[in-house]
Amino acid sequence: MSASAVELFPTMRSISDDGALADAFAAKAPWAFDEAYARFGRLLYSTAYHVLENQEDAQDCVQDALARVWRLPDSYTRARGALRSFLTVCVRNEAITRIRSRIRRHRMEERIAAEPQTPGELGAVDVIERDKLQAALRALPEEQRKPLELAYFHYKTHVEIAEELHEPLGTIKSRIALGLRKLGTALGSRA
Amino acid sequence: MTEHIGENAALYALGLLDAGDARDVEGHLLRCDACRRLLAQAEADVTALSAAQPQLDPPTKFRSAPSSAPARAWWNSRTLAYAAVLAVALLPSGFLLRQNVAMHEEMLANSAAISRVMSTPHRTVAFAGADAHVMYGKDGSWYVVVIRGAVAPLHVLWPHDGTTTMLGTAVPRGDVAMLYLPQSHRMEQLALESGGRVVGHAQLAF
Repeated sequence: MSASAVELFPTMRSISDDGALADAFAAKAPWAFDEAYARFGRLLYSTAYHVLENQEDAQDCVQDALARVWRLPDSYTRARGALRSFLTVCVRNEAITRIRSRIRRHRMEERIAAEPQTPGELGAVDVIERDKLQAALRALPEEQRKPLELAYFHYKTHVEIAEELHEPLGTIKSRIALGLRKLGTALGSRA
Repeated sequence: MTEHIGENAALYALGLLDAGDARDVEGHLLRCDACRRLLAQAEADVTALSAAQPQLDPPTKFRSAPSSAPARAWWNSRTLAYAAVLAVALLPSGFLLRQNVAMHEEMLANSAAISRVMSTPHRTVAFAGADAHVMYGKDGSWYVVVIRGAVAPLHVLWPHDGTTTMLGTAVPRGDVAMLYLPQSHRMEQLALESGGRVVGHAQLAF
C-alpha cells in the first residue's frame, strides 16, 4: 500500500457517529439498516404507535416504512438532512396514511358521533399533558395552535383544517408553518 | 415545479400534502439545496414533536434489512442457479475465470450478487495493494467486492468528503471474501481495512 493511498483515508468515524450511520444508510451498507433501527427504533415505533394506537399496527407500519425507504433507490441522501428526522417523518407519514384509511372506513360512525372535540380535549393531547410538548403547544397563539393540533394529532389535511376553521387555505398553511417553526424552537430542534 | 417549496416544507413534513403536491415537492428537492435544507429543518421540528411524546419499547426485535435486490421468481429454480454458476465460469471476464471453487461457492451463496453481475453491464477495477476486485454498475448503483486469499474478515470502506464510512465486512468463505451492496450510490473510491490498517485501495471510474 503506498503512503499516498493511505493518506486518502484521514478519518474513520465510529459507527456510533450519527453522520457515519447516515452516510452508510445512504450507501445502503448492510449494517446500516439494523443499526438505524437499533438507534432510532424506539422513536420510530413510538411515533407510529401514537398515531395508530395499536402495537401490531405500529410495528407493521415501522417495518413497511423502513423497508420501502431501503428498497427505493436514492430514497435517502445526506442532502436530505438528519437520518433520524427523515425516518421519523417517513414512519409518521406511513402511519397517517393508514389512520386516514381507517378513518375513511369509519367516516359514517364519526359523523354520527357527538359534537366536535376541541383540540384541548383530544385523547392524544391527554397522553402528553405532563410533558414539555404540552407546555410548548400552550405557548402558541391559538390561531397557530389549533390548526397545528388538528394536523398533528388529528391527521387532517390543510384543506380539511381550512374548512373546519373557516379560514382561507393560504392562511392555514402559513399558521401551520409558523406554529411548527415555533414549536421546533421550543423543543430544541432549532439552534 | 420551479418555485421554492416555502410553507409546503412544513406541510410535507407533517404529512398534509396530497400525493400530487408531495410529488411536486420531491421533484423540486432534487435540484434545490436551499429547499432540501428547509425541509430537513421542518422534519427535525416534526421529529422533536414525536420525541416529546412518551417513548415506548417495540414489542419485539425488528427483522433484518430486507433484500434490496428485485425479487426474481425464476432464480428460485435450482437448475437455473447451477446454470448461472456455469455461465459465470464462462463469462468472458479474465477476472471471473481466475476465481476458484470457493469463489463460485461464495457467489452461489449470494445469488443476488451473481445475478447482478451476469445480467447487468458493469465495470471491474482491481484494488491496489490487495488481491481484490470490485465489480460495479456503470451508474454506481451496486457493487460486488471480491477478495482472494483473505484469512480474516476485511472491512470495506468508502472514503469521501474528508472522512471514511464503513460499508460492511467481507467474511472469508474458503479463501474468498465478498461483500455485495445491491442498491447503493456512486462512490469514487473504496478501501479495504484489516487490523486497523488500510490494505487495499480502488479508484472507481464512472
